[in-house]
Amino acid sequence: MSRIIACYKWVADEADLKINPDMSVDLSKAKGKISDYDKNAIEAAVQMAKITGDEAVTLTYGSKKAKLSLKDALSRGPSEGFWVNSEKAEQADGAASSKALAAAIDKIGDYKLIICAEGASDTFARQVGPSVAARLGIPCVSSAIKLELCENELKISRKLEDGIEIVAAQLPAVVCILPEINRPPIPGLKSVLDAGKKTTREYKIEELGLLESDLSARTETIDFKAYVMNRKNIVLDGETAADKVKALVGSLKKEGII
Amino acid sequence: MGEESQFDAIVVGAGPAGLACAYLLAKAGKAVLVIERGDAPGAKNVTGGRIYAYALNLLDKDLLDDAAWERKVSHEEIMIIDGNRSITMDYHDPSLTEGDESLQSYTILRAVFDQWLADKAEEMGAMVVCGIRVDDLIQREGRVVGVIAGEDEMYAEIVIAADGVNSLMAQKAGLISDIKKETVGVGVKEVIELPAKTIEERFKLNQNQGSARMILGCTQGIHGGGFLYTNQESISLGCVFMPQEIVQHGKQVHDIFQELKMHPAVYPLIQDGETVEYSAHLVSEAGYRGMPAKLYKEGLLLVGDSAGLVINTGYSIRGMDLALLSGIAAARAILGESDLSQIGPAYLAELEKICLLPTMRLSVGYNQLLDIPRIYSNYPQLAIGVMQRLYKVDGQIPQNLKKQVMEAINESGLTVWQMLKDGLKGVRSI
Ligand SMILES: Cc1cc2nc3c(=O)[nH]c(=O)nc-3n(C[C@H](O)[C@H](O)[C@H](O)COP(=O)(O)OP(=O)(O)OC[C@H]3O[C@@H](n4cnc5c(N)ncnc54)[C@H](O)[C@@H]3O)c2cc1C
Repeated sequence: MSRIIACYKWVADEADLKINPDMSVDLSKAKGKISDYDKNAIEAAVQMAKITGDEAVTLTYGSKKAKLSLKDALSRGPSEGFWVNSEKAEQADGAASSKALAAAIDKIGDYKLIICAEGASDTFARQVGPSVAARLGIPCVSSAIKLELCENELKISRKLEDGIEIVAAQLPAVVCILPEINRPPIPGLKSVLDAGKKTTREYKIEELGLLESDLSARTETIDFKAYVMNRKNIVLDGETAADKVKALVGSLKKEGII
Repeated sequence: MGEESQFDAIVVGAGPAGLACAYLLAKAGKAVLVIERGDAPGAKNVTGGRIYAYALNLLDKDLLDDAAWERKVSHEEIMIIDGNRSITMDYHDPSLTEGDESLQSYTILRAVFDQWLADKAEEMGAMVVCGIRVDDLIQREGRVVGVIAGEDEMYAEIVIAADGVNSLMAQKAGLISDIKKETVGVGVKEVIELPAKTIEERFKLNQNQGSARMILGCTQGIHGGGFLYTNQESISLGCVFMPQEIVQHGKQVHDIFQELKMHPAVYPLIQDGETVEYSAHLVSEAGYRGMPAKLYKEGLLLVGDSAGLVINTGYSIRGMDLALLSGIAAARAILGESDLSQIGPAYLAELEKICLLPTMRLSVGYNQLLDIPRIYSNYPQLAIGVMQRLYKVDGQIPQNLKKQVMEAINESGLTVWQMLKDGLKGVRSI
């Protein structure tokens, strides 16, 4: 039995963000949550493990705040939760996060598949999955909406702009999934209670053979500001409904929306 | 624990009633599970904002030290409104905030307070699970033996229904029928953020001290009233209405509340503040008369709002302290009575001992008094009318006081006979 590892990020809940009058963003009151698409990643790992008879586990790189995430992650079905604990995670970029995650995946060992979301709900930088794959020297397939296992190969449906591409990847591999892949259920009472009994493992970065300096981000957030999207306020005229629809379609085309 | 039971006790609802009970049971070493439908304790809970510390002291005096208070109430205020006029009475007494901590009261915000109390219960060993709604009770031969949440069943020796007003658990157990509209009020509330300094200036408060204000006459004649509590960095402003009267009145709750916010004596208090939370909730209004005939069934106890334990005197609302008390009484009954079938009667005995039932019985009078419809429009108008005449100096020969008062009475639409009757009822009822 090998492992299917779902990676997730503990992010600030955007529902709790506050925009100050000067457009700066106040995160101080925001509670944490598992990034929305990562819930799809966890569910995908659990479903895949059910089919393959492997073990689904979760992995996160986060500061001490992320400790709260472990129970939540495990209530979604995986059997074990891993957490790379470092305050450095607060300033991490894709390069730093993927370094920490890849080192942890190496340490966990015996993995068949790594599942990440295409991007995190806070930054959506889409760096982590591909970088983890590069560091581990294994294939990476992005934009996945369906996973099928055939022998030792994974068949992956990728959602592209104008079609579905089906690719096969050698395992072990990293797959970055889109939220369409599944609908993660809300954990029930028993699952939540069981989560409390499952094993969690905390890694300090030294245990992973990393130095603090290895995890320094190479990009830096200089400013974080709210953005106001102004409405275009276009009023469409037309005698008949058909005229109006025509005008609407024309207008949407002009904007490049359709 | 019986063979099937996974827990000694399951508590449905992580409000003050459920958490108090869970805290004590866990402290005594029982395996307790608290199930809360909100994503976090207090996430969805609404209260006006003041809790009396004696109840928390009774739960565990250690809790008083680091309770999640907002401000200690140093000013008790009553505001009477008629049209755009108002009278505010402010009772300030240094002893309100000095001396025995347990005799004081504090303003709170539920999202903070409930989470804090849940953490304390967890420290004692209770398990608090959030984001799960209990849908039903499991009953066997007239006995409650567990709960159903979604597809999961969970068994316990005893279930504590702490799921608040209009309790689904009490309904499922057949202890209450569906809600009667004349027994509940609808409360709406906004939390309006302001800097601590601004609040202290506007309400003339010392640091960490606060005011608790009841507002009469702000409901446009509808049975109900308003409240305003100062928190550390926000103001809780709200109104409670009787729903069936609103329907007759034809105006929207929201509009009446907006008018209260814009009232010339209220607006300066909240000016420049930002509304960060808007909520609505039912509040039990019937006092002792509204309590279920039975507060237990074998395997099930009703605590807090689910047992109708709220006292509204018109100058204060007490629900949270009574919720804590009933939670304590339930825990004492469970811990003190080994015969499962006798826990219910033991709970009633504890409720008497903790003075909760006697207090509820006394509240009957208040409810009769508050039933007088004139309290919500005519009397506020009268009080204001008298003030208006007292303070009016226009250089004319003043009329004698008695005549002025009579004029104000006439204007308010009251008759002396009615006032005598109401007065008598008032004296009798309290
Ligand atoms: C507008 C307003 C103003 C008030 N002002 C005051 C005041 O100033 N002072 C005061 O002392 N009292 C006040 N009260 C009354 C007070 O808020 C209540 O009496 C008190 O909250 C009751 O506590 P409780 O624990 O019984 O119920 P609640 O606090 O209502 O807690 C019940 C809990 O059960 C959960 N729940 C419900 N159903 C389920 C389910 N099926 N499964 C799982 N969980 C469930 C709810 O989410 C909730 O967390 C006010 C009430 C209102 C509405």
